Amino acid sequence: MSWILFRRTWAAQRVRLLLVMLALAVWGFLLPVVYATFGKDMGALIQSGAFANVVDVLSRFTGGDVFSIRGTVALGLVHPIALALVAIQVIGFAAAAVAGERQRGTLEVLLARPLERRVLYATLLVATVLFAALTEAAVLGGIVAGALLFGVAGDLRAIDIALCWLNAVALFGALGAISLAASVSFDRLGPAMGIALGVTLVGYAIEFLGTLWPDAAWLRPYSPFRYFQPTRILAGTFEQRDLLVLGAVFAAAVAWAAWVFPRRDLAAPS
Amino acid sequence: MPDRGARVPFRRVDAIATEGLTKHYGLPRRWRGGSAGFAPIRALDDLTIAVHAGEIFGFLGPNGSGKSTAIRLFLGFIHPTAGRAHVLGQDVSTAGAALRGRIGYLPGGIALYDSLTGTQLLDYLGAFYPRPPVLRASLVERLDLSGRDLGRPIRDYSRGMRQKIGIVQALQHDPELAILDEPSEGLDPLMQRAFYAILDERKAAGRTVFFSSHVLSEVERVCDRVAIIRDGRLVALESVAALLARRRRHVEARLDAPVPALAAALAALPGVSAFESRDDRLAFGLDGDVAPLLRLLQGAPLADLTIEPARLEDAFLELYDEPAP
Repeated sequence: MSWILFRRTWAAQRVRLLLVMLALAVWGFLLPVVYATFGKDMGALIQSGAFANVVDVLSRFTGGDVFSIRGTVALGLVHPIALALVAIQVIGFAAAAVAGERQRGTLEVLLARPLERRVLYATLLVATVLFAALTEAAVLGGIVAGALLFGVAGDLRAIDIALCWLNAVALFGALGAISLAASVSFDRLGPAMGIALGVTLVGYAIEFLGTLWPDAAWLRPYSPFRYFQPTRILAGTFEQRDLLVLGAVFAAAVAWAAWVFPRRDLAAPS
Repeated sequence: MPDRGARVPFRRVDAIATEGLTKHYGLPRRWRGGSAGFAPIRALDDLTIAVHAGEIFGFLGPNGSGKSTAIRLFLGFIHPTAGRAHVLGQDVSTAGAALRGRIGYLPGGIALYDSLTGTQLLDYLGAFYPRPPVLRASLVERLDLSGRDLGRPIRDYSRGMRQKIGIVQALQHDPELAILDEPSEGLDPLMQRAFYAILDERKAAGRTVFFSSHVLSEVERVCDRVAIIRDGRLVALESVAALLARRRRHVEARLDAPVPALAAALAALPGVSAFESRDDRLAFGLDGDVAPLLRLLQGAPLADLTIEPARLEDAFLELYDEPAP
């Protein structure tokens, strides 16, 4: 880990990071507001009538809902808006971290310093995980703030919120590690970004498709998003296996990058 | 003839010592849809050179000849297919970061962090080194980079300014070895002169400079020895003085009146070639010592005499089998 590089990375990313965190916090804050002003009553109305199972169906479809505070928290984390904002920061940063510098030619200047490639990689990996942790904290911070302000936080447990955060960081840590592994493997940004976005989008599509279409359900275990389950955590049925699988994906991506990056040739920038 | 790639003893004490250093790129043909077998690109082939500590060493060759490949091997950016290289006494394949802490590097066409100011860039890049940037103030002054210039973002810099900041970042920590790839590119003549003076000072301080360039006149001006590579292979390695001493000078003499006996004697002089005699004008090429020529011309009815000095450019072009312009 190089503190010099880390400080520079932080300085280069802080404005975008703050904007993304602000957007995520606002997004998170709005959901309990919707629940408090609309979803709570609407949910009670739906549950009392002939469409009682609509909430369950909707929750299964979207991964959350605004008819309960737990469903609201889950929706805040799994909604495509939140996922896209976190991905912009975490996956965008990781995929460009090495391949982008390589393409611009600045990696050559950097690696001419007394800086080992492994140290460079470790520093960028720490930054990637930190960005995942901060962006997910911003969503959950916004949700908790909204819930407290509107008095609907009653049955939310701190431990569940912490586990949701951990699960989300594990998901984006794994996706970030894959993106960084792609970044150290290519000389140009295009292929690295393509692989990073490909893994993320295909993984999301598989999970979404598997949820809706029983015939495609067998694909779900192959998606990292399968192991991101805030609904289960908030329902008290958290499975440690989810964290273990995401941790294994993270470890495999790190092992690949740690093996490939120091050994590969860095030819002259084109 | 010049010493075309003669073997030099491999000594770890040299600033740079390579032995059979080779870099081939390429995948097996069958991986690219062809028949089995390898079709590698020979970027560098069997390079054996020794750059002595405290000298300014020129590394010449046209684009694609393997200069940058050699430099990238010295810095550990790429790994050799065969052979070995020691830089400052350390094997580049195992030395790692500690070795690069003793080197200053200016890449050709340097890319910089455009959002940083000049000062921020120098602070950032200098912070990685164990040595403080003791030469920064002097280099900045010599290269005419004002405080105002250094306070501006790099993206606003001209090409020459970028090159100057590149030179400062490479030398500011007083490296034992400076590896400079096309260092004077983009510098105006005044700045080139200042840069040459900086190189002279580096040498006087006992530091080594490895200098890759297309500008043959500047190599001739600043380098002690040169290596010339072609298609990845070393074709010459010797001192600039020795290389020039063996080059052909162009001699032109104008006489007050034609002297056939003198023309015949000149034509027969050892080292004379391409002899032309027309009326009172004699022109020819001369290899080697000029003393026999001067002795012969002593007392001749000379109206004018021009002996063009040998140029590195001629040597370079001759080694590349191209006609001189």
